[in-house]
Amino acid sequence: MMRLHHVPQSRSMRILWLLNEIGAPFEVVSYPFDKTLRSAEFLTLSPAGRVPALEIEGERMFESGAIAEYLCERFPEAGLGRAPGSPDRMAWLTWLHFAETVTQHLAALTQQHLALREPAQRSPIVTQLEAARLGKCLAAIERRLSTPVENRDHLLTSGFSACDVAVGQAVYIARHFHRLDGFPELSAWYARITARPAFQASLPAPEARLYTRDFYPPLEETA
Amino acid sequence: MSDTPEIRLHHVPWSRSFRILWLLEELGLDYDIAWHDIRKGDMQEPGYKAKSPAGRAPALEIDDQVIFESGAITQYLAETFRLGALGRPPHAPERIAYLQWISYAETMAGVIEQLNINHVFLRDPSQASPVVIKLNTARLKGTLAGMEALLGDQEYLLPSGFSAADTMMGFNLFAAPYFVKLDAFPRLAAYKARIEARPAFRRAAARDGVQTFYDRDFYPVPGPVDKNVDKLKG
Ligand SMILES: N[C@@H](CCC(=O)N[C@@H](CS)C(=O)NCC(=O)O)C(=O)O
Ligand SMILES: N[C@@H](CCC(=O)N[C@@H](CS)C(=O)NCC(=O)O)C(=O)O
Repeated sequence: MMRLHHVPQSRSMRILWLLNEIGAPFEVVSYPFDKTLRSAEFLTLSPAGRVPALEIEGERMFESGAIAEYLCERFPEAGLGRAPGSPDRMAWLTWLHFAETVTQHLAALTQQHLALREPAQRSPIVTQLEAARLGKCLAAIERRLSTPVENRDHLLTSGFSACDVAVGQAVYIARHFHRLDGFPELSAWYARITARPAFQASLPAPEARLYTRDFYPPLEETA
Repeated sequence: MSDTPEIRLHHVPWSRSFRILWLLEELGLDYDIAWHDIRKGDMQEPGYKAKSPAGRAPALEIDDQVIFESGAITQYLAETFRLGALGRPPHAPERIAYLQWISYAETMAGVIEQLNINHVFLRDPSQASPVVIKLNTARLKGTLAGMEALLGDQEYLLPSGFSAADTMMGFNLFAAPYFVKLDAFPRLAAYKARIEARPAFRRAAARDGVQTFYDRDFYPVPGPVDKNVDKLKG
């Protein structure tokens, strides 16, 4: 059976959602978001001590993007991938990788707002810069969903795919750092994909939430 | 797509788009370069955003199509040209490792980007956070150590030899030594020398030009503020 190594509300939620969409049996091992991920045992699963990691058919994998692609190839019947040569292949690769671009801003913001506990350690300008860069990524999604002729229901013209899961999970976290007002198509898409049972089944228990506040505004300069 | 596609790379010197510059050279494709200046903000113009909607580089035009994200471009080029010789297709034995390396390169690049912001882009060093620099330098070391361990005695990232996973590391191993000395990573250092000796790498580096992004050879982690010195200063 597949085994997902998971921290609630982290990038591994992307794989949890994907596995829920696929519907094949798997189990989840949850970790706290702390030094446990640096233990010798965990490092054999993921060499930089990061989640997600996945055990599948005797193999061990890390990197959410790689795992997502591999699962789509392993379970083609779920229809979440677009194989080499298919018309949406280029767009599928692009938006799947783009999820990681968005998430890097989220990682920087999470580091500033949640990981650094002392205000003096934080850098207000970095929180402002990263929230602005995140906003540009949201604008890129809005642009993608608003096409001149007919708006897209999903990131790919050919319909729901792993791109919606990967980028959708990034937007789920992004809401803690940037408002979605002003992005009507993105908001409608987000509502559409998060209504899916597989997403709902991936939500953390309230007490397992990493983000305890609904919103973390950019920090103001103190000096 | 035509047999001899028209290819244009949107490129920022010494950045992630070097990955694609090098890959295009390895694939022996003809292309031209549209140069962008990351400090001037020309990538924020609507004309460019119609191609790369977040205003980032690289983006690649192939005939009438555009693709962005270095990992996506890498995978696409590798599976489309030279009969896929630089890729590892779905269900190939090295598929997992191939995909993993492509993503891992971006994990590492994300940390490098934070160090670039703190050391290079913030003009006023007091705006940077020493703790953040320290943290991200440690994270960069962690990703380099992971790479050193996985590389083992292999010549290239995949046991079967050179691939597009290696070209993804082109930018990383150029930038990382400005923040972390590679002495502690002998296999990585040897690997870096090996990839830089490839003729296609040298052609790409020549087109990229002499770097002017970093104004010193090494950016150390700022030391703790010496309280006594502060006292002396009054
Ligand atoms: N590019 C990797 C990044 C993984 C990553 O950084 N995960 C975070 C959680 S979202 C993590 O494990 N951080 C723990 C740490 O770095 O200490 C991926 O997509 O899997
Ligand atoms: N994940 C993307 C990241 C692209 C990216 O951030 N590129 C940088 C240059 S290395 C850029 O265009 N930065 C401009 C900006 O962030 O506004 C990729 O791998 O292509």
